[in-house]
Amino acid sequence: MMSMDPQSRPALARGVRLRNDPITGEPVLLFPEGVLPLDTTTHDIILRCSGQATLASIVLALAEEYETDPETVRVDVCECLAQLRQRMLIAISQ
Amino acid sequence: MNYRPYLLLAELTHSCPLHCPYCSNPIEYPGGQELSTAEWRRVFEEAAQLGVLHAGFSGGEPLRRADLAELVAAARAAGLYTNLITSAVGLQRQRAAQLRQAGLDSIQISFQSDRETLADQIAGTCAHALKLQAAQVVRELGFPLTVNVVLHRGNIDRLEQIISLAENLEAERLELANAQYYGWAFQNRAALLPTRSQVARAVEIVGARKKQLLGQMDILFVTPDYYSERPKPCMNGWATRFLTVNPVGDVLPCPTASAIQGLRFDNVRMRPLAWIWSQSESFNRFRGTEWMPAPCRECPLREVDFGGCRCQAALITGDAGATDPACALSPHRRMLTSFVEAIQEAPAANRSFAADLGRLSFRQNPGG
Repeated sequence: MMSMDPQSRPALARGVRLRNDPITGEPVLLFPEGVLPLDTTTHDIILRCSGQATLASIVLALAEEYETDPETVRVDVCECLAQLRQRMLIAISQ
Repeated sequence: MNYRPYLLLAELTHSCPLHCPYCSNPIEYPGGQELSTAEWRRVFEEAAQLGVLHAGFSGGEPLRRADLAELVAAARAAGLYTNLITSAVGLQRQRAAQLRQAGLDSIQISFQSDRETLADQIAGTCAHALKLQAAQVVRELGFPLTVNVVLHRGNIDRLEQIISLAENLEAERLELANAQYYGWAFQNRAALLPTRSQVARAVEIVGARKKQLLGQMDILFVTPDYYSERPKPCMNGWATRFLTVNPVGDVLPCPTASAIQGLRFDNVRMRPLAWIWSQSESFNRFRGTEWMPAPCRECPLREVDFGGCRCQAALITGDAGATDPACALSPHRRMLTSFVEAIQEAPAANRSFAADLGRLSFRQNPGG
């Protein structure tokens, strides 16, 4: 498995769509097997997974927004992306 | 409790070029005309209003509907995610491109085995080579690909090679679903249920390969609940998240619910989907925990597994309101375990699948 390099660029995987649930207004991921409701943190991370932004820049932007230590944010972001990647919801390119 | 459907399974037709002996379609097909394009369009619109976000197009073989692209476009227009669940027979490049244009989001192709001879024996027709070609087209057109393989005694020993097949096809997902014993599969279960040692080996293989393929292909493994101590939380509870609309417009809480004798299903031609979801007798029959018998009623897991599967309870015990015998606490447990024990030493377990072919009933199409 490819490791998550700070310079890697995460993006939504093929066939995965982010939308707001029209009933609750909350964000969800739609993918071949179903529907995944997103918590605020995961949503914030996914919004930045454009395929252009590097992992390092995503971490910095979130650390600034949350006014938290970047190292703590980095651990959380990597954990979150690893889980999404395991389910093939996020693809990571270098 | 507020129930809301998220997923709609649209069974467009019961016609299929394959004859798999584990098909979950009903053995007795419902009578009546298939829903028209306009009727399906209304179903997708009503489903979206009710909260559905995701539509699976299934059957039978959904490609047998000439208006499939129109139906996909209608579901997309209603805001739904669209997934085609197909044998891939009939998925030539032009058809696939047309579906792409219509907005189809993803494609799931069933394979019966990695080996053509065995695969075609299981399907009861020559389909394997066509599936390989179709998978290639799916890749080239940029769809995400899920490979689905129903596992049973005849193919589970080829799990390594089956996983490699999906890997070579560059599938994002591989569903290794042990046959669920409903419909045709229930009729054939004595020849289909793998032995305990076959299942144990499969679990090991999947565990190792899953780790190895992490981030490249997601492997979903569905264990046969005949070997478990606790029942599966079937459909996440009766009529809580899923809707199935069958080819003639009957609305079911799960695709196999017509196996339950005496349960009457309402039809989209007669009633709005919202009414059926909230008011119909069939959807309310096993909702919540009120209906539960002992030992489910007092069980601390009653809202974890919901008493298991109603269709399985009906098929094995004759009572859809009984505890699923896949639960070790079921008073009817012996009806399942005696069957499971009987097949362990069955000589068929070590023979070629070809020897079993003679005693399987292959799925027939409506009208013969």
